[in-house]
Amino acid sequence: MPTPTHCPYCALQCAMNLTADGPGVTVSGRQFPTNGGGLCRKGWTSAALLASGERITEPMLRGDDGRFSAVSWEEALERVVYAVRRTQARYGKDAVGVFGSGGLTNEKAYQLGKFARVALGSSMIDYNGRFCMSSAAAASNRAFGVDRGLPFPVTDLAQAHTVLLLGSNVADTMPPFVQHLQAAREAGGLIVVDPRTSATAALTADGAGIHVQPAPGTDLVLLLGLAHVVLHEGLADEAYLAARTRGLRGVTRSVNPWWPERVQSVTGVPAGTIRHVARRLAAGARAGTPGAPRGIYILTGRGVEQHVNGTDTATAAINLALLLGLPGSEHGGYGTLTGQGNGQGGREHGQKADQLPGYRKITDPAARAHLAAVWGVPESSIPGPGLPAVQMLEALGQPGGVRCLLVHGSNIAVSAPDAGAVLESLRRLDFLVVSDFFFSETAAEADLVLPVAQWAEEEGTMTNLEGRVLRRRRAVSPPPGARDELWVLAELAARLNAPSAFSSDPREVFEELRLASAGGAADYSGIDYALLEAGDAAYWPYPAGSIGTPRLFRDSFAHPDGKAVLVPVAASAAKPGQEITLVTGRLLEHYQSGAQTRRVPELAAAQPEARLEIHPVTAAALGVADGDLVEIANGRGRIYGRASHTTGIRQDTVFLPFHFPAGESANRLTAAATDPVSGMPEFKTSTVQLRRWEEARVS
Amino acid sequence: MSNVFAEAAGLHRPAPLRVVVAGYGPVAARLVEELLPGVRSGALSVLLVGEEPVAAYNRVLVADLAVGRTTAEALEISDAAELRASGVRVRLGERITHVDRARRLVLLGDGTSEPYDRLVFATGASATIPNLSGLNPDPAAVAMLPDGVTALRDLADAARLLEAVSGGGRIVVLGGGILGLEAALAAADEGASVTVVHHGPRPLARSIDRGGGSVLAAALRRRGIRMVSNARSTGVDLGTGLAGRRFRALQLDDGRRLEADLLLLSCGVRPRTELAAGCGLPVGSGILVDHRLQADADGEVFAVGDCAEVRCREAGCPDCAGGAGPSGLIGPGWRQAEWLAARLLADAGQQPPAMERLPAERPAVILLKARGVDVSTAGAVDAEPWDEAEPWDNESGSLEEACPAHPTTPAVRQVAVWADPEHGKYVKMVTRRGVLEGLVAVGMPRTAAELVLLFESGRALPADRSSLLRMDGADAGVPATRLDDPGATVCRCSGVSAGRIREAVSDGCGSLEEVAEATRAATGCGGCRERVIAVIAAHQASHGADLEELLPSA
Repeated sequence: MPTPTHCPYCALQCAMNLTADGPGVTVSGRQFPTNGGGLCRKGWTSAALLASGERITEPMLRGDDGRFSAVSWEEALERVVYAVRRTQARYGKDAVGVFGSGGLTNEKAYQLGKFARVALGSSMIDYNGRFCMSSAAAASNRAFGVDRGLPFPVTDLAQAHTVLLLGSNVADTMPPFVQHLQAAREAGGLIVVDPRTSATAALTADGAGIHVQPAPGTDLVLLLGLAHVVLHEGLADEAYLAARTRGLRGVTRSVNPWWPERVQSVTGVPAGTIRHVARRLAAGARAGTPGAPRGIYILTGRGVEQHVNGTDTATAAINLALLLGLPGSEHGGYGTLTGQGNGQGGREHGQKADQLPGYRKITDPAARAHLAAVWGVPESSIPGPGLPAVQMLEALGQPGGVRCLLVHGSNIAVSAPDAGAVLESLRRLDFLVVSDFFFSETAAEADLVLPVAQWAEEEGTMTNLEGRVLRRRRAVSPPPGARDELWVLAELAARLNAPSAFSSDPREVFEELRLASAGGAADYSGIDYALLEAGDAAYWPYPAGSIGTPRLFRDSFAHPDGKAVLVPVAASAAKPGQEITLVTGRLLEHYQSGAQTRRVPELAAAQPEARLEIHPVTAAALGVADGDLVEIANGRGRIYGRASHTTGIRQDTVFLPFHFPAGESANRLTAAATDPVSGMPEFKTSTVQLRRWEEARVS
Repeated sequence: MSNVFAEAAGLHRPAPLRVVVAGYGPVAARLVEELLPGVRSGALSVLLVGEEPVAAYNRVLVADLAVGRTTAEALEISDAAELRASGVRVRLGERITHVDRARRLVLLGDGTSEPYDRLVFATGASATIPNLSGLNPDPAAVAMLPDGVTALRDLADAARLLEAVSGGGRIVVLGGGILGLEAALAAADEGASVTVVHHGPRPLARSIDRGGGSVLAAALRRRGIRMVSNARSTGVDLGTGLAGRRFRALQLDDGRRLEADLLLLSCGVRPRTELAAGCGLPVGSGILVDHRLQADADGEVFAVGDCAEVRCREAGCPDCAGGAGPSGLIGPGWRQAEWLAARLLADAGQQPPAMERLPAERPAVILLKARGVDVSTAGAVDAEPWDEAEPWDNESGSLEEACPAHPTTPAVRQVAVWADPEHGKYVKMVTRRGVLEGLVAVGMPRTAAELVLLFESGRALPADRSSLLRMDGADAGVPATRLDDPGATVCRCSGVSAGRIREAVSDGCGSLEEVAEATRAATGCGGCRERVIAVIAAHQASHGADLEELLPSA
């Protein structure tokens, strides 16, 4: 009997069947609205990791000689408890920190937040979602009062006449999503904004749409220019704006300085293209106009969000959608494409430094009182907000910083910005505990590695990019010695005499999560495992007694007055520099830090090393032939990649995937500069110097 | 922002620094917006005095307003009520009549006076009135032009032009500069019958070269605009109507009369310097300021925007060697406003006082704001590919200033041109050491956009200049997958090549489903189904299968 579950990787959470097959597990696609039965190469090969010879199957403790050796779970857990107690006795509660992940199930994400606040009494918890979803989340909360990546089912895109896709390469990052772009492509309305001719940008060829290729880091100006045209050409939906929004005047003023020719001079996108795109969007957005094409969607991805102005850029995309009357309408909307498998649920249940479960603010007295009651602890014992990821990592081992860190489901030694500095930070720690199933680059730095279960070995729930809650099911048992993280947290909590119960049973944890989220923005109180197993399409908010919310904002937005807020944002007209800009991103064959996919033979064979995409004209000036090894360097680091010539990239830009470690680790070059609102790092535009490896070796 | 620097110095909160801003245009609005943190914290008190009865609006788009393409509301760039709510004192419809620098007072039109610690002139510019018989050449007479004659500077001018355009009227635009052409194109697009009268053989003469100007003129004519070149206008015919004197025709020195319903004067602008000159400040073509925007020696009086001419008194200052007056463009004005705001906040103890001087502006980039006519120019554009070498090329200096990467390349000016007048396309790139010194691009929008970025950044152009031209080619973008290449990826989701599919067919797979089962092709997004079918069909055809059998039965 196959086990119906979902893919371990991205937020599309493609449905799959797992069939235990002697020693192995066979994967097959399963019909589901998000993936239509399809899987990408990562999903097809995902079971290869279950029986990998590289699995860690016993707790591994680093000895005085620096080598790891196996220890019993009893000893491992006592080591953790000892390190926590000793650190907190000397340096205070906040000297112990937790780093979580958007890859964890809802149950684990919830339990991890509770563990930090209740068992450790520490405010220091944040997660790798800070690196992906925080800017769009901040922008959505500001504009709509709530953040659900897609506030509509992804299948709504089947009615799209135009999809404006900004900074998202779905053809590589979540390939089965591409089927949802088919309607827009057939209408000639897929508009992809990307400095690169990505695989997704290539979908606009042959009349399927437009590829808009702005200079890196100029997306905000482009969006302000589109809004300018909409407002000045009378294309805005005035009735909608009057009835459903506030703040129009300020936004009108803020986009006024960005007429198309001025936008062109900053972005390199011709003024005529800007006008054309704005008119195309508006032509379909005219609600109620007889004969008007319908279905206008504006979607953003990390390409426009992972910048120091990422929140403002996402806000500008939302403003454009609001000017066109899209959010909450029947003819379109705005959404952000969540990246990690549980990137949505992971940002709702309390593993963010400033949040409590149910997407509640940790500074809100009512939220604190609610959680104190659920947890059975005094409200005053719940710590306040901690530091967002980048700041927490920078302070590791520093006076006042975290000295003992627990990492779950994250490989920050590869995935965090300025990864070289992160490695140094990790090495300053008094004690580092990493829960993982492989010796990831982060686990390799640990004092103690705890072997945990993989996706096909555990039960739980995931919330996909639409805000739909899905059941993850166990198809096989974990290897002897590997344990579920819920069990690990329960054991540690008991040994730390935590003043609240920590169940190791996912179903029980979910029941507690329901109570904890009740009344919050992300309310799961009406959902249970039985409902999910019966196939209910459970979109939050799903308060007890309701039938859930497939489409948000139909009647009102989540601000007290029910209106959406247009927030004016400003862009700088900074002149472009002479440097080469490094853009980072993902490949189809790999996922995140590559800790998993680099261990899948088929994927590793297809993409074995970091390839540097470079324009042949740029390469020629540097004497770099296709296939040459190139040194890529800046003040933060120095790495190597193999040149791959392509005319699909701007001459002033190069691209590297960030899936590779050490001397190929793109994040050795990215800066830990962060967005002032969201704490999102600037991953997308780093200036670099390039030279042939042979020249680098000589000097 | 807290007053940390004052606190650090152990000072109690001092009296606010009193700033008076003369003028309420876009540059003044940006200045005051940047000053708001200081106003809110009480470190600054700001009085803003604007002559027009409305808050600042985007003058750059007045031509669009004048042809009915946008609304006055959309042009709003500042909100007087919001400024007042933040603590700024705003006086609309009011003038400063006199400045008493000795007593640091401004006198207002209503007879009151206001003290200042810092005074900023942001008085802008007004339209130049050409010397034509029938028009009063006094600059102050711009507000009293006869009916049927207008400049295009403010909302009232826009209303006059709109009346003529919406009636489908005949309009003569006097002046072939950027603003005149923009107005002419907009008016023609919206149904007016437009004639442009200009000096010299081609429009945009000050900014464009011969080739670009010719292609541009042809583009303008194709849009239905009558171009009257090499024209000297001498006067206006004013008829007498019921409501008084009214424009009837423009007279040229060759005796021609160009009859029209409206004469649009687009003969440049004059910085408004009267008030500054009246209080003894040095004035050139604009109010003279140094690189810290100071108009006086004491650092109490400043000028920004269209009224300001940045020209310092230091001999040999390279940034002032060109001796250009105010650019008339908004970008430099906004940068000046931002810089000056930071300086005034520093003066009020709100920001660290160390301030670099205002960076020199790069030569202006001119982009014609028009729909369907793409013109970009920048820098020095008159050089031609076959010009004699510049006389100083062989003198000391230039040869030693060789490109560091290519030490044998002397710093000689080079010109590359692409001209295709039949199709309205023209590009010129003037470079030195590969870096653009000037550019012209007509009818090549993507190339133009890229060249402007390269001009602004100072990055060297690719040695293959034609790689830039190809950005506007129909072949730009994504090459199609060649299915006859066995290495070509057919299914990206599963990484399946055409060769792998052929192998599967050789092994006996005959349908899409069988190939999908064997290779996982078309099992992701499904977008490659047709390509997979094509590979199967091609392979079978080339291996003797009867084509008839592959086609669906009728």
